[in-house]
Amino acid sequence: MTGLANAQSEGLTSSPYSLYGLGVINQTSIGKTNGMGYAGIGLRSETEINNLNPSNFALIPQNSFFYDIGVVGELNSYSNASYSESKSTLNFSNLAFAFRIADRLGAGVSLVPYTDVGYTLVGLETNIEGSNETFNSNVTGLGGLNDLSINLGYGLSEAFRLGIKASFLFGNIEETEGFAISNSYFQLDEVTNYSGVRLGIGAQYDIFKDFTIGSTVQLPVSLKGNVTRSVYKTLDDVEIQVEDEEGDSVSDFKLPLELGFGLSTKLIKSFTLSADYKHNFWDSTEQSENVGTYIDQDIYAIGLEYLKNERGFKYWDRVRYRGGFNYDNGYLAINDNKIDGYAITAGLGLPVGRTSNSMLNISYSYGSKGQIQNILVKENYHTITINFSLEDLWFRDRKIN
Amino acid sequence: MGKVFCFLSLSIFVLWSCSSENYNASDFLAGEEFTDSNIRVALIDTITVEISTMKFDSIVASESSRVLVGKYNDPEFGVVKSSAYMGLMPSSYVIDSEAEYDSIALYMKYDSYYYNDTLRTNTLHVKRLSATLKPSEGDYLYNTSEAEYFEDDIGALAFMPRPMDGDSLEIKLSDALGVDLFEKFQEKEITTSDQFKDYFKGIALIPGQTDNGSVIGFTKSSESIFVRLYFSEAEETERVQSYLDLNMDVISSPVPFFNRIESENPNTNLETLSDQEVNLDSKDTGGLSYIQSGVGIATRVEFPHIKNLYDIKGRGTILDAVLKIRPLSGSFTDNLILKDSLSVYIVDQNNDLISQLLVEEIAPVQGILNRDNEEFNDIYYEFSLGSYIEELFTEEMETEEALILLPDNYNSTVDRFILNGSGNTGYSTVMELTFAIYDEEDD
Repeated sequence: MTGLANAQSEGLTSSPYSLYGLGVINQTSIGKTNGMGYAGIGLRSETEINNLNPSNFALIPQNSFFYDIGVVGELNSYSNASYSESKSTLNFSNLAFAFRIADRLGAGVSLVPYTDVGYTLVGLETNIEGSNETFNSNVTGLGGLNDLSINLGYGLSEAFRLGIKASFLFGNIEETEGFAISNSYFQLDEVTNYSGVRLGIGAQYDIFKDFTIGSTVQLPVSLKGNVTRSVYKTLDDVEIQVEDEEGDSVSDFKLPLELGFGLSTKLIKSFTLSADYKHNFWDSTEQSENVGTYIDQDIYAIGLEYLKNERGFKYWDRVRYRGGFNYDNGYLAINDNKIDGYAITAGLGLPVGRTSNSMLNISYSYGSKGQIQNILVKENYHTITINFSLEDLWFRDRKIN
Repeated sequence: MGKVFCFLSLSIFVLWSCSSENYNASDFLAGEEFTDSNIRVALIDTITVEISTMKFDSIVASESSRVLVGKYNDPEFGVVKSSAYMGLMPSSYVIDSEAEYDSIALYMKYDSYYYNDTLRTNTLHVKRLSATLKPSEGDYLYNTSEAEYFEDDIGALAFMPRPMDGDSLEIKLSDALGVDLFEKFQEKEITTSDQFKDYFKGIALIPGQTDNGSVIGFTKSSESIFVRLYFSEAEETERVQSYLDLNMDVISSPVPFFNRIESENPNTNLETLSDQEVNLDSKDTGGLSYIQSGVGIATRVEFPHIKNLYDIKGRGTILDAVLKIRPLSGSFTDNLILKDSLSVYIVDQNNDLISQLLVEEIAPVQGILNRDNEEFNDIYYEFSLGSYIEELFTEEMETEEALILLPDNYNSTVDRFILNGSGNTGYSTVMELTFAIYDEEDD
């Protein structure tokens, strides 16, 4: 599920930057990778869902049924040269399950937010053409796109796995802009609906027993958009509905070709290292916003997990400790300033019971994006994710309770 | 397995319902360049406004809200003169047979309206009508209607008007008339209103021929304008003063009343207004247009090219439309005062009045005199015409109607205005239209 790793931002959001494009692209994923800098393309995971590479679904053990439910909370503090503000959000972040179909063949379904929009910008000052005066408008945005993915992973051999993925991207973005001029008030409400299907493939190859490389490709797609628009105004103190939910077309939004490479290896005995590099070809979408253009994006992610002893008698010996770092140089340039960002992550994997691989995954991430320079906004955000990454065992006699 | 799916579907529901709750109020000023407004707003002051002057053949005067009498010489509008004509109605028909006639007088109460110089003496001649006041056709008497009266005064008064005092004017009338009326009542020759109206058709109030003072308003009501017939009655020990009133008749239908308002020998521009359908383009009058209420001269306003707004690319809507008209500097004085407001009416292509211009069929559109920058000689009437302009803009048919500007209560005043129409560079009438374009991609 590499589509989730291609952004530099937080989960459900209250980010001024979410007014661009389809919103802020969701970065949090499923399970352990949230604590490991969102790296996992080359991460071989047999004990829980790795949503970053569809080929990994081939590794689901016999009789296992994985499911994962996540909650994400975020505190975002953003500031520009003159103002600062903080906001917090709390939301469900994902829902996923995965199961084995046949030997070396596994499948999974996941529902995660693809992008999130949540912003309120007040006092946008715009010149009234033909005069020296200005008007101040307030803009709010709300909504986002969901990603419902179906993944299939198949192992051609013990060491080489291929996967395919189909993502149904759909959702609404609602934007409202309103302002008052002299005696009149004007408000524009636009609900834009986007939808499209994106295909991706992935592969993993275990070069050695403890050294895996992986790659993912997300194909470009044009998300079809249509907008429903309502316009209200007052004229001579009389309220008038200029347009009532009238439909109109909007330009498609193009998602680029995305290539990802990753590797994972065991360092010493207790450490697992996972590292990813992704390149998203935004240049070729040739899209621009009214204040910026979309440009190629590079994402570097690295994560480390420490596990003392999976079968240890002490509970704390079985707990997994994780840390990671993610750097993203951004896909949007505003006045030639790329909005880059980084995130430092830490996480814990707390085993639930001893008979299954069920795990309570908790992660904390501190991230920063943008900069206070000229017009730009700098965001510092704290994100906490809690994932119930659970395993149900089917058709297996319960020998021990 | 079933348990799991149950849980999943419940969670999906929760996930959906949660996604719309992260909306918070904000005070974050992002800065104008962080994003642009999606909406363009333009102030357009190049809309063509055509200004002309027209004159109604007549205006309904019997519904006038006041009695107007007076005369003054206007430098542009000529000799402005208003005379009033009205019927009377007795309050009673009974005078005791022993009573003795005393005197008779006309009382009129100021209603605070005046135009021009009240520090000059006005003369008022009271005449007796020789024919009953009634419309020659239809239900109304007009400002141009004629009334017949006997040449001789039945009373006259030269006075300094004090219109703001709220006092009444007393004009002694001729005793010959008084005695005659007294006897008709006393001898029961007049016992009904028809008998009275047949005998006494009413009075005319005519300003003096050579007056050059002011036009004064009197309250139009039966209590405020009346002729009082004084007499005395013998009581046991003394004689007691009593009276009988002949009140202004506002009950009969059609009302026997009108103000005849005329203006003679105006300037050459106004003299060309011989017919109601003449539109005197301000381009042909040195950029000027005129208003004179009572007489029926109005400034006519048209917006012939409003649909050119559709040439602006994208979808747009009108947020405001303010018409600014400047009075000609020097055309108003402390005597020839500028009224604070003007009303707007709609006329058809023949300049027949259709209705007052209202917003939402209730609120009359008013032009308010903006004196904020009077010290810089920048003074103008401001009209909010948003709703009207929007109608012109969105209506499929080109309208043949036009707006005219007149003072409120135009049939009861003699206010006059000289305005800068179009073609007077720097002072021309201008329409400031605020237009929002919210979808530039569309045509």
